[in-house]
Amino acid sequence: MTDLRDLDELLRAQEGDAGCDAGVPIMDQYVEIELRGEDPSERFPGTAIHLRVCPGCRADHDGVLEAARRFGDLDPE
Amino acid sequence: MAIGRAARRRLTIQLVSVGRPQAEARPHRPVRGDTASRRWVEQLHAGHPRHEVAAAKLHDVLQRAAIHELHRRPGQLAALRGPELDDVAQQCADDAMMKILARIDHFEGRSRFTTWAYKFVIFEVSNKVARHAWQHHPPSAEELEWDQLPDTLAAKPGDQAERREQLATLTKAIEHDLTPRQREVFVAIALNDVAIDVLALQLGSNRNAIYKNLFDAKRKLRACLAAAGHPITSDERAHP
Repeated sequence: MTDLRDLDELLRAQEGDAGCDAGVPIMDQYVEIELRGEDPSERFPGTAIHLRVCPGCRADHDGVLEAARRFGDLDPE
Repeated sequence: MAIGRAARRRLTIQLVSVGRPQAEARPHRPVRGDTASRRWVEQLHAGHPRHEVAAAKLHDVLQRAAIHELHRRPGQLAALRGPELDDVAQQCADDAMMKILARIDHFEGRSRFTTWAYKFVIFEVSNKVARHAWQHHPPSAEELEWDQLPDTLAAKPGDQAERREQLATLTKAIEHDLTPRQREVFVAIALNDVAIDVLALQLGSNRNAIYKNLFDAKRKLRACLAAAGHPITSDERAHP
Protein backbone atom coordinates (compact mmCIF):
# COMPACT_ATOMS: atom_id res chain seq x y z
CA MET A 1 0.00 0.00 0.00
CA THR A 2 2.89 2.33 0.70
CA ASP A 3 4.01 2.04 -2.90
CA LEU A 4 0.53 2.88 -4.18
CA ARG A 5 0.38 5.89 -1.87
CA ASP A 6 3.75 7.05 -3.26
CA LEU A 7 2.45 6.79 -6.80
CA ASP A 8 -0.83 8.47 -5.84
CA GLU A 9 1.17 11.39 -4.43
CA LEU A 10 3.54 11.53 -7.41
CA LEU A 11 0.65 11.62 -9.89
CA ARG A 12 -1.77 13.75 -7.86
CA ALA A 13 -3.93 15.78 -10.26
CA GLN A 14 -7.30 16.46 -8.73
CA GLU A 15 -10.42 17.37 -10.65
CA GLY A 16 -11.52 20.94 -9.93
CA ASP A 17 -8.00 22.32 -9.48
CA ALA A 18 -8.27 26.03 -10.37
CA GLY A 19 -4.61 26.38 -11.42
CA CYS A 20 -2.09 29.06 -10.49
CA ASP A 21 -3.55 32.17 -12.11
CA ALA A 22 -6.97 31.84 -10.47
CA GLY A 23 -5.46 32.29 -7.01
CA VAL A 24 -3.62 35.54 -7.72
CA PRO A 25 -6.53 38.01 -7.60
CA ILE A 26 -8.23 36.35 -4.63
CA MET A 27 -5.22 35.44 -2.46
CA ASP A 28 -5.84 38.33 -0.03
CA GLN A 29 -9.50 37.36 0.39
CA TYR A 30 -8.56 33.70 0.81
CA VAL A 31 -6.09 34.57 3.56
CA GLU A 32 -8.54 36.82 5.40
CA ILE A 33 -11.13 34.04 5.52
CA GLU A 34 -8.47 31.88 7.19
CA LEU A 35 -7.55 34.65 9.60
CA ARG A 36 -11.21 34.78 10.69
CA GLY A 37 -10.96 31.06 11.47
CA GLU A 38 -13.27 30.10 8.61
CA ASP A 39 -12.80 27.60 5.80
CA PRO A 40 -11.83 29.26 2.48
CA SER A 41 -12.53 26.06 0.52
CA GLU A 42 -16.26 26.78 0.72
CA ARG A 43 -15.88 30.02 -1.24
CA PHE A 44 -12.79 29.13 -3.29
CA PRO A 45 -12.87 25.32 -3.70
CA GLY A 46 -10.67 25.27 -6.83
CA THR A 47 -7.91 27.29 -5.19
CA ALA A 48 -8.11 25.21 -2.02
CA ILE A 49 -7.46 22.09 -4.12
CA HIS A 50 -4.68 23.84 -5.99
CA LEU A 51 -2.86 25.02 -2.87
CA ARG A 52 -2.63 21.42 -1.63
CA VAL A 53 -0.74 20.41 -4.78
CA CYS A 54 1.27 23.40 -6.10
CA PRO A 55 4.32 24.20 -3.93
CA GLY A 56 4.92 27.55 -5.65
CA CYS A 57 1.43 28.89 -4.96
CA ARG A 58 1.43 27.35 -1.48
CA ALA A 59 4.65 29.23 -0.63
CA ASP A 60 3.10 32.50 -1.83
CA HIS A 61 -0.08 31.83 0.13
CA ASP A 62 1.90 31.04 3.26
CA GLY A 63 3.88 34.26 2.81
CA VAL A 64 0.77 36.44 2.55
CA LEU A 65 -0.80 34.69 5.53
CA GLU A 66 2.38 35.11 7.58
CA ALA A 67 2.72 38.80 6.64
CA ALA A 68 -0.91 39.52 7.51
CA ARG A 69 -0.51 37.71 10.85
CA ARG A 70 2.87 39.17 11.79
CA PHE A 71 2.54 42.74 10.57
CA GLY A 72 -1.18 42.91 11.12
CA ASP A 73 -3.56 45.59 10.13
CA LEU A 74 -2.10 49.09 10.09
CA ASP A 75 -3.73 52.47 9.92
CA PRO A 76 -1.95 55.12 7.87
CA GLU A 77 -2.41 57.64 10.69
CA MET B 1 13.92 62.24 -36.47
CA ALA B 2 14.90 65.42 -34.62
CA ILE B 3 12.58 66.45 -31.77
CA GLY B 4 12.26 70.15 -31.03
CA ARG B 5 12.66 71.64 -27.56
CA ALA B 6 8.92 72.26 -27.16
CA ALA B 7 8.08 68.72 -28.28
CA ARG B 8 10.69 67.29 -25.92
CA ARG B 9 9.15 69.32 -23.08
CA ARG B 10 5.65 68.00 -23.93
CA LEU B 11 7.02 64.44 -24.04
CA THR B 12 8.72 64.91 -20.67
CA ILE B 13 5.52 66.26 -19.15
CA GLN B 14 3.54 63.36 -20.61
CA LEU B 15 6.01 60.79 -19.24
CA VAL B 16 5.95 62.40 -15.82
CA SER B 17 2.16 62.43 -15.92
CA VAL B 18 1.98 58.76 -16.84
CA GLY B 19 4.60 57.78 -14.28
CA ARG B 20 3.02 59.49 -11.30
CA PRO B 21 -0.39 58.80 -9.81
CA GLN B 22 -2.64 61.75 -10.42
CA ALA B 23 -4.80 63.69 -8.02
CA GLU B 24 -7.47 63.62 -10.74
CA ALA B 25 -7.19 59.81 -10.81
CA ARG B 26 -8.99 59.67 -7.48
CA PRO B 27 -11.85 57.17 -7.88
CA HIS B 28 -15.22 58.54 -8.84
CA ARG B 29 -16.95 55.85 -6.81
CA PRO B 30 -16.74 55.87 -3.03
CA VAL B 31 -13.75 53.99 -1.63
CA ARG B 32 -14.89 50.63 -0.23
CA GLY B 33 -13.67 48.65 2.75
CA ASP B 34 -13.13 49.21 6.45
CA THR B 35 -12.16 52.60 7.86
CA ALA B 36 -8.38 51.99 7.84
CA SER B 37 -8.50 50.64 4.29
CA ARG B 38 -10.46 53.67 3.08
CA ARG B 39 -7.87 55.94 4.72
CA TRP B 40 -5.03 54.13 2.99
CA VAL B 41 -6.62 54.45 -0.43
CA GLU B 42 -7.51 58.12 0.04
CA GLN B 43 -4.13 59.11 1.44
CA LEU B 44 -2.08 57.18 -1.12
CA HIS B 45 -3.53 59.24 -3.94
CA ALA B 46 -1.07 61.89 -5.12
CA GLY B 47 -2.28 65.28 -4.07
CA HIS B 48 -3.58 64.14 -0.69
CA PRO B 49 -1.91 66.18 2.08
CA ARG B 50 -0.78 62.98 3.83
CA HIS B 51 0.39 61.18 0.69
CA GLU B 52 4.10 61.24 1.49
CA VAL B 53 3.57 60.07 5.08
CA ALA B 54 1.20 57.26 4.09
CA ALA B 55 3.47 56.11 1.24
CA ALA B 56 6.52 56.06 3.53
CA LYS B 57 4.62 54.08 6.19
CA LEU B 58 3.41 51.54 3.66
CA HIS B 59 6.86 51.18 2.09
CA ASP B 60 8.36 50.59 5.52
CA VAL B 61 6.00 47.73 6.37
CA LEU B 62 6.34 46.23 2.88
CA GLN B 63 10.12 46.19 3.29
CA ARG B 64 9.85 44.51 6.69
CA ALA B 65 7.46 41.94 5.22
CA ALA B 66 9.92 41.34 2.36
CA ILE B 67 12.84 40.80 4.74
CA HIS B 68 10.77 38.35 6.78
CA GLU B 69 9.68 36.48 3.65
CA LEU B 70 13.25 36.28 2.30
CA HIS B 71 14.32 34.70 5.59
CA ARG B 72 11.36 32.32 5.35
CA ARG B 73 12.63 31.01 1.98
CA PRO B 74 16.27 30.26 2.77
CA GLY B 75 16.62 27.20 0.54
CA GLN B 76 16.77 29.15 -2.71
CA LEU B 77 18.82 32.06 -1.35
CA ALA B 78 21.78 30.33 0.23
CA ALA B 79 24.28 32.79 -1.25
CA LEU B 80 22.42 35.94 -0.15
CA ARG B 81 23.20 37.48 3.22
CA GLY B 82 23.33 40.78 5.10
CA PRO B 83 23.35 43.91 2.94
CA GLU B 84 22.61 41.93 -0.24
CA LEU B 85 19.49 40.48 1.34
CA ASP B 86 18.42 43.93 2.54
CA ASP B 87 18.97 45.27 -0.96
CA VAL B 88 16.71 42.60 -2.47
CA ALA B 89 14.08 43.38 0.19
CA GLN B 90 14.26 47.06 -0.72
CA GLN B 91 13.83 46.23 -4.42
CA CYS B 92 10.81 44.05 -3.60
CA ALA B 93 9.24 46.86 -1.54
CA ASP B 94 9.97 49.45 -4.26
CA ASP B 95 8.47 47.30 -7.02
CA ALA B 96 5.45 46.34 -4.91
CA MET B 97 4.91 49.99 -4.02
CA MET B 98 4.88 51.02 -7.69
CA LYS B 99 2.33 48.35 -8.53
CA ILE B 100 0.14 49.22 -5.55
CA LEU B 101 0.09 52.92 -6.45
CA ALA B 102 -0.65 52.11 -10.08
CA ARG B 103 -3.55 49.86 -9.08
CA ILE B 104 -4.84 51.82 -6.10
CA ASP B 105 -8.19 52.44 -7.78
CA HIS B 106 -8.58 48.70 -8.37
CA PHE B 107 -8.76 48.00 -4.63
CA GLU B 108 -12.33 46.85 -4.04
CA GLY B 109 -12.36 46.51 -0.29
CA ARG B 110 -12.92 42.74 -0.41
CA SER B 111 -10.04 42.35 2.07
CA ARG B 112 -8.21 44.76 4.34
CA PHE B 113 -5.99 47.10 2.36
CA THR B 114 -2.84 45.91 4.07
CA THR B 115 -3.52 42.24 3.25
CA TRP B 116 -4.10 43.27 -0.37
CA ALA B 117 -0.77 45.19 -0.28
CA TYR B 118 1.16 42.29 1.32
CA LYS B 119 0.12 40.14 -1.62
CA PHE B 120 2.07 42.41 -3.99
CA VAL B 121 5.28 42.30 -1.97
CA ILE B 122 5.12 38.52 -1.43
CA PHE B 123 4.72 37.99 -5.19
CA GLU B 124 7.73 40.24 -5.76
CA VAL B 125 9.78 38.18 -3.31
CA SER B 126 8.63 34.98 -5.00
CA ASN B 127 9.68 36.25 -8.43
CA LYS B 128 13.05 37.54 -7.29
CA VAL B 129 13.87 34.39 -5.30
CA ALA B 130 13.07 32.22 -8.33
CA ARG B 131 15.18 34.40 -10.63
CA HIS B 132 18.09 34.32 -8.18
CA ALA B 133 17.87 30.53 -7.89
CA TRP B 134 17.68 30.11 -11.67
CA GLN B 135 20.66 32.41 -12.29
CA HIS B 136 22.84 30.67 -9.72
CA HIS B 137 21.60 27.07 -10.04
CA PRO B 138 19.80 26.50 -13.34
CA PRO B 139 18.42 22.98 -13.82
CA SER B 140 21.01 20.57 -15.20
CA ALA B 141 20.51 18.56 -18.37
CA GLU B 142 20.13 15.45 -16.20
CA GLU B 143 17.25 17.05 -14.32
CA LEU B 144 15.36 17.83 -17.53
CA GLU B 145 15.96 14.76 -19.66
CA TRP B 146 14.18 11.47 -19.21
CA ASP B 147 16.43 8.58 -18.28
CA GLN B 148 14.73 6.20 -15.91
CA LEU B 149 12.61 6.19 -12.76
CA PRO B 150 14.57 7.37 -9.72
CA ASP B 151 15.81 4.73 -7.28
CA THR B 152 13.07 5.61 -4.78
CA LEU B 153 10.45 4.50 -7.31
CA ALA B 154 12.27 1.83 -9.31
CA ALA B 155 11.30 -1.80 -8.87
CA LYS B 156 13.33 -3.68 -6.26
CA PRO B 157 14.33 -7.37 -6.24
CA GLY B 158 11.71 -8.27 -3.61
CA ASP B 159 8.81 -6.46 -5.32
CA GLN B 160 5.80 -8.43 -6.40
CA ALA B 161 5.18 -9.02 -10.10
CA GLU B 162 2.20 -6.63 -10.08
CA ARG B 163 4.34 -3.79 -8.77
CA ARG B 164 7.00 -4.49 -11.37
CA GLU B 165 4.39 -4.43 -14.15
CA GLN B 166 2.93 -1.23 -12.80
CA LEU B 167 6.30 0.54 -12.82
CA ALA B 168 7.09 -0.85 -16.29
CA THR B 169 3.79 0.58 -17.55
CA LEU B 170 4.59 3.93 -15.95
CA THR B 171 8.04 3.97 -17.55
CA LYS B 172 6.60 3.14 -20.96
CA ALA B 173 3.90 5.81 -20.60
CA ILE B 174 6.47 8.48 -19.69
CA GLU B 175 8.49 7.54 -22.76
CA HIS B 176 5.69 7.17 -25.30
CA ASP B 177 2.46 8.81 -24.15
CA LEU B 178 3.56 12.24 -22.93
CA THR B 179 4.31 15.11 -25.30
CA PRO B 180 7.95 16.25 -25.22
CA ARG B 181 6.99 19.31 -23.13
CA GLN B 182 4.88 17.22 -20.71
CA ARG B 183 7.77 14.75 -20.33
CA GLU B 184 10.31 17.52 -19.72
CA VAL B 185 8.10 19.19 -17.09
CA PHE B 186 7.15 15.92 -15.36
CA VAL B 187 10.75 14.69 -15.24
CA ALA B 188 12.06 18.00 -13.88
CA ILE B 189 9.39 18.74 -11.26
CA ALA B 190 7.89 15.39 -10.25
CA LEU B 191 11.00 13.23 -10.51
CA ASN B 192 13.86 15.67 -9.86
CA ASP B 193 12.27 18.29 -7.57
CA VAL B 194 13.13 21.28 -9.75
CA ALA B 195 11.15 24.29 -8.45
CA ILE B 196 8.25 25.17 -10.75
CA ASP B 197 9.26 28.85 -11.06
CA VAL B 198 12.88 27.96 -11.82
CA LEU B 199 11.73 25.60 -14.55
CA ALA B 200 9.37 28.28 -15.91
CA LEU B 201 12.31 30.69 -16.23
CA GLN B 202 14.49 28.01 -17.81
CA LEU B 203 11.82 27.25 -20.43
CA GLY B 204 10.82 30.89 -21.00
CA SER B 205 7.33 30.15 -19.73
CA ASN B 206 5.30 30.98 -16.62
CA ARG B 207 4.14 29.14 -13.52
CA ASN B 208 0.55 28.66 -14.68
CA ALA B 209 1.52 27.20 -18.07
CA ILE B 210 4.08 24.84 -16.52
CA TYR B 211 1.56 23.74 -13.90
CA LYS B 212 -0.93 22.95 -16.68
CA ASN B 213 1.72 20.85 -18.47
CA LEU B 214 2.41 18.97 -15.23
CA PHE B 215 -1.29 18.50 -14.44
CA ASP B 216 -2.00 17.11 -17.92
CA ALA B 217 1.04 14.81 -17.73
CA LYS B 218 -0.11 13.36 -14.41
CA ARG B 219 -3.67 12.82 -15.67
CA LYS B 220 -2.34 11.07 -18.75
CA LEU B 221 -0.04 8.79 -16.76
CA ARG B 222 -2.85 7.87 -14.37
CA ALA B 223 -5.09 7.06 -17.33
CA CYS B 224 -2.36 4.91 -18.91
CA LEU B 225 -1.90 2.97 -15.67
CA ALA B 226 -5.65 2.43 -15.30
CA ALA B 227 -6.03 1.39 -18.95
CA ALA B 228 -3.22 -1.17 -18.51
CA GLY B 229 -4.96 -2.69 -15.49
CA HIS B 230 -2.90 -0.91 -12.80
CA PRO B 231 -5.22 1.72 -11.32
CA ILE B 232 -3.82 3.65 -8.37
CA THR B 233 -7.00 4.40 -6.46
CA SER B 234 -10.16 2.42 -5.81
CA ASP B 235 -12.07 5.07 -7.73
CA GLU B 236 -9.91 4.48 -10.79
CA ARG B 237 -10.53 0.76 -10.36
CA ALA B 238 -14.29 1.39 -10.38
CA HIS B 239 -14.19 3.92 -13.23
CA PRO B 240 -11.16 3.12 -15.38
